[in-house]
Amino acid sequence: MPIRHASGVYWRALAAHVRSVIEYPADLWIMATAGAVWNVLQFAFLAVLFANVPHIEGWGFHEMLMLSGLLSIAGGANALCFDGAWNTGSMVIKGDIDYRITRPAPVILQVGSSHIGLQSFGELALGFAMLVYGWIGAGVGMAWIPVGALAIVCAALIQTALVTAFCAVNFWIKSPMSIFAFLLIQLQGGAMKLPLGVFPAAVRVVALFIVPVAFINVVPVAVFTGHMTAWWLVGVPLAAVAAVALAAGVYRLGLRAYDSAGH
Amino acid sequence: MPILEARSLTKTFRRPDKASGFKGAVKHLMQRKFKNYTAVDGIDLSIDAGESVAYVGPNGAGKSTTVKLLTGILRPSEGTVRVMGRDPHTERIANAHDIGVLFGQRTQLWWDLPVEESLKLLKHMYGVSDADYQRRIAKFDELLDLNEFMPALARTLSLGQRMRADLACALIHDPKMVYLDEPTIGLDISVKDRLRAFLRELVNDGTTLLLTSHDLADIEEVCERIVVIDKGAIAYDGSIERLKAHYITTKAVNLYLEGTADVPALAEKFPDYEWTAGEAPSEVTVTYESGRFTTAEVLGSLTAQLSPRDLSLSEPSIEDVIRRLYAGELTK
Repeated sequence: MPIRHASGVYWRALAAHVRSVIEYPADLWIMATAGAVWNVLQFAFLAVLFANVPHIEGWGFHEMLMLSGLLSIAGGANALCFDGAWNTGSMVIKGDIDYRITRPAPVILQVGSSHIGLQSFGELALGFAMLVYGWIGAGVGMAWIPVGALAIVCAALIQTALVTAFCAVNFWIKSPMSIFAFLLIQLQGGAMKLPLGVFPAAVRVVALFIVPVAFINVVPVAVFTGHMTAWWLVGVPLAAVAAVALAAGVYRLGLRAYDSAGH
Repeated sequence: MPILEARSLTKTFRRPDKASGFKGAVKHLMQRKFKNYTAVDGIDLSIDAGESVAYVGPNGAGKSTTVKLLTGILRPSEGTVRVMGRDPHTERIANAHDIGVLFGQRTQLWWDLPVEESLKLLKHMYGVSDADYQRRIAKFDELLDLNEFMPALARTLSLGQRMRADLACALIHDPKMVYLDEPTIGLDISVKDRLRAFLRELVNDGTTLLLTSHDLADIEEVCERIVVIDKGAIAYDGSIERLKAHYITTKAVNLYLEGTADVPALAEKFPDYEWTAGEAPSEVTVTYESGRFTTAEVLGSLTAQLSPRDLSLSEPSIEDVIRRLYAGELTK
């Protein structure tokens, strides 16, 4: 399957959904506002926290804002570009993967592009706002911008790939709820908005090398703000490649185990 | 040269072996037990290019599972499938270009998109040229009135519209081999007629067709060959005409007598025939073996001795034969 054809199929499906969404502006605004409000609350929480605490493990308000911003961008990109992966469980149960197997395009891309999360527009807008505000406030400087752009792309890829891999577990556990992906998001929302230094070594190892969520936001921001050496940045694209390979592999195995519905 | 060939095709599913109710569920949680269920059991099937084959059987016989094995959706537990020389599961992408699939109980339309967008996405996916796309859409519109609902979102379509749109989706790339699983399920008679006419045209154009349906009119109007499956195994494979000739061994005459029909007395008087009381007291059905008696002989003896007010002949029905095949009354 030529990559060009597969990516063409994917982007066309996504663009068709965007066109469809624009036809229902009320839905779009309500969901986008919900996504934005959630991020405003994150901002408010950090502002209140740092009004009382000067720093956490050596990290200040603007640095922590960058953590939240980059995580929101990664989550928003996932919801915008690959939200359909969340439907893997219900598609498996209902046999809705059937048609996708009979078409000449990768099933994972067909499922991923089958839906877009409207809240992503709010998440992305506020995520970028927090990142830029934190970036300026923390004095990161313009020189890091190209690396920052790469980090954003990798963050989106890692987030999307990990969520997709965890959703693909539903090929075996037969539940409409992507409980493992949901847990991942919950843990990220709680833990990955804090510096790695606050956690025990075992947690740090898991977040860096087992489920590499730290490379989504914590590692890049730590490097940009001088909390980690620049060498750690090498791990960001590596983690992205590993996560994408993992998602593709788990999905492929899932499709081999797929037994449709209604025998 | 077969376009499709399945040899010893078998599919076994693993199912939990547990008692019903909460107690059974808890026990199963502690003591995991499973049993195998064979949905398709060693099927041999060969379909030549241009053939139109009806694949029928009672609920749970293994029809849909067979279609899923033939289309590459499921991996066989045992046996092989080749569609145009390819394994449809391992060579999924290449196979997908040559096959069209419709599952009547599900849609392949993108639920939140207009029908037109779904067709355009499929056009791109299959690499259909603009000219071919326009030509096929025009043909589908002529036969299925597609343009009537092209701008509508899939989720707003009626069942009949949805099925017509799904048929267009399955055929937009002009596949050589088409699988239709219950294409007329839940449709009203006028939409059914339209779909059947469309399928006849498709077959006349040389497309190979495998059709599963519980509606035997679909089968008689569209297909030349019928494969009957029961409990995962093939119970009959041959032409519809042969099925009728081979299995329809009796014919019937309905008689409307002047007075009340005394069925036991008639049975005693004409012991070679089977007598059944009709809906009205004066109505009686006479069933006779077509190999022993001609219709003229039967009518001659009955009219001479009973002077019926009226009579009618019952045509042999494929539906009766298939019903008897399902019930296990007939063998291969």
